[in-house]
Amino acid sequence: MALVGPNGAGKSTLLAVLAGALRPTAGLVERSPGVRVGWMPQRPAHYGRLTARENLELFARLEREPDPDGAAERLLARFELPADPKPSAHLSVGNRQRLNLALALLGDPHVVLLDEPTAALDSRQRRRLWETVAELREGGGSVVFATQNAEDLHRLADRVVSLSGGAAVFAGSVSEYERAEAERSTCVTT
Amino acid sequence: MRNTLLLLRKDLLTLRRSPALLGVLLAYPLVIALLIGLAAGYANTKPRVALVDRDGLPERVSIAGFSFDVNDTIDEVARNVRLVRLSDDEARRQLRAGRLVAVITVPPGFVATLQGLVRSPHLVLETTTGGVAPRVRQQMQALVYSLNLRLQRAFIAADLEYVNLLLHGGRGTILGQDFDVLGLDGAERLLGELPRGPRLDRIREFVKDATLALDLTDEAIRATATPIQLREVGDRGRTWSLSAQVQSYGLALTISFLALLLAAGALAAERDENVIGRLARGPVTLGEVVSSKVALAAAIALGLGLGVALAFGVVVELGGVTGGEPWERLPLLALGLALAGAALGAIGCLVGALAREARTASLAALLVALPIVFLGLVPREVVPPAGWLSDAFPFAHAVRYFGAALYDTRPWDTLVRETLWLLGLGGLAWVSARLAARRLSA
Repeated sequence: MALVGPNGAGKSTLLAVLAGALRPTAGLVERSPGVRVGWMPQRPAHYGRLTARENLELFARLEREPDPDGAAERLLARFELPADPKPSAHLSVGNRQRLNLALALLGDPHVVLLDEPTAALDSRQRRRLWETVAELREGGGSVVFATQNAEDLHRLADRVVSLSGGAAVFAGSVSEYERAEAERSTCVTT
Repeated sequence: MRNTLLLLRKDLLTLRRSPALLGVLLAYPLVIALLIGLAAGYANTKPRVALVDRDGLPERVSIAGFSFDVNDTIDEVARNVRLVRLSDDEARRQLRAGRLVAVITVPPGFVATLQGLVRSPHLVLETTTGGVAPRVRQQMQALVYSLNLRLQRAFIAADLEYVNLLLHGGRGTILGQDFDVLGLDGAERLLGELPRGPRLDRIREFVKDATLALDLTDEAIRATATPIQLREVGDRGRTWSLSAQVQSYGLALTISFLALLLAAGALAAERDENVIGRLARGPVTLGEVVSSKVALAAAIALGLGLGVALAFGVVVELGGVTGGEPWERLPLLALGLALAGAALGAIGCLVGALAREARTASLAALLVALPIVFLGLVPREVVPPAGWLSDAFPFAHAVRYFGAALYDTRPWDTLVRETLWLLGLGGLAWVSARLAARRLSA
């Protein structure tokens, strides 16, 4: 599911609330027991003075991964993250975003919430991300992502929810969303 | 607990990888502690001086017909020092440990010699070494001068009575013997009544006796100028800069700044690194995040405090200074350091949670630490409200704990009381910090 909408529409806030990082000021988020949720915030969320591996190992332990070192090793390889002792604050923007995504995938989540996941990725890494999302979906998982990128929408989304001013103003398939957008564009032009 | 330890390990690793920050964190409080400790400890408190009474001073002493209340007299002349009565052994031990700046001993036979009015008895003064010794010596000289002044009045009055007796005659007492004195007036009267002749020889003889008697009083009159002499002996205590007071204040100051700044900065940094949301959404509770920073403050306070105590002890050993029990008491000190570090760390967490940003938190922590420390440095007897306020913060309790742990012969009452204070204050600050930590993920 893709969350779309202009800046300030509430996409990131909704994802943070769904992730449990923010308390809703009104309403309720219900989660089925045993469902694991991974969350990748828009701004990288990891410790800058730890290496990529140390970040992955730490969060793997906190997520109670049975084999934290192994999980960290796998994710390092999968996202082609540097295994050298360079602090993660010194990584490139793209590498930091990949580390951010790798952290979201710790604990084998059933649902992954991604906030603008491809914003800082090059085309190769973007393809890798699409593959990862496809694997998750094929494995029975769900992916909710916020995006401003039309290509992401086509590649990843089955459904689209459009937000404006903190409220959902559209919910439907990608083709329905595109039709609605085209109609709105025509109205504005005429 | 497991999550708290994982975060603590991460924080220690982070700290180790920030050598500049670590250096500033260690050096800054030490410098501040040294400067404030020296200035406040020296200037703001009355020197603590022991009075060792080996003569068994009575409540009242009668000298030359004047009766003195001993305690009142001592209180009146000892305004510039805090005079405490101690046994000989305890006074010597505390002087060596640096808890006293001087010991003044009243030797056996002091009062009897004083009452004899013939010789000046001695008080014995022992002081610490170092920069404070001249000041202490001056104060002791002033004390003895004040005492002499009071006694001098009595002595002079008594001497004048004797002179008066010789001049006018009458019944008097000297050295415990009562006698009648004809007096020069009486002699003159007799001289006038008697016809001239051999009796004149007798009168002349009386004049000789009177002269001899006046000669005898000469020594006593001179004694009134200095009824008591101060004699300093060679036995010396620990230099003031190595004293218990400096060490206790130094440790408390160091860990106060360090724990507050570190905990405040570390908690706010979780938000700065955008990690607080990732943590708080499931794997770690906010309580565990706060606890990890409290544990960090306790661990650093323990490490640094023990380092300072060890360095202090080594200097004392190398200097050949005796007194105190720095090595045997290190485990007790370690407990106090961890407790005080945790309590101060909890306050730091509260500051960090309210400030939300690491830079703001560090500045706010500094601004909070300064009044806490200064309140604790104001002598309770000078400004009582400062003492009451200071009790609401861990600094003053840490100072008392460290002093008792390192130097008191029977420290247990103080240690238990201050431990309870530190636990209570730390617990309160932890709960407040936990509630405020919600702001971090908002």
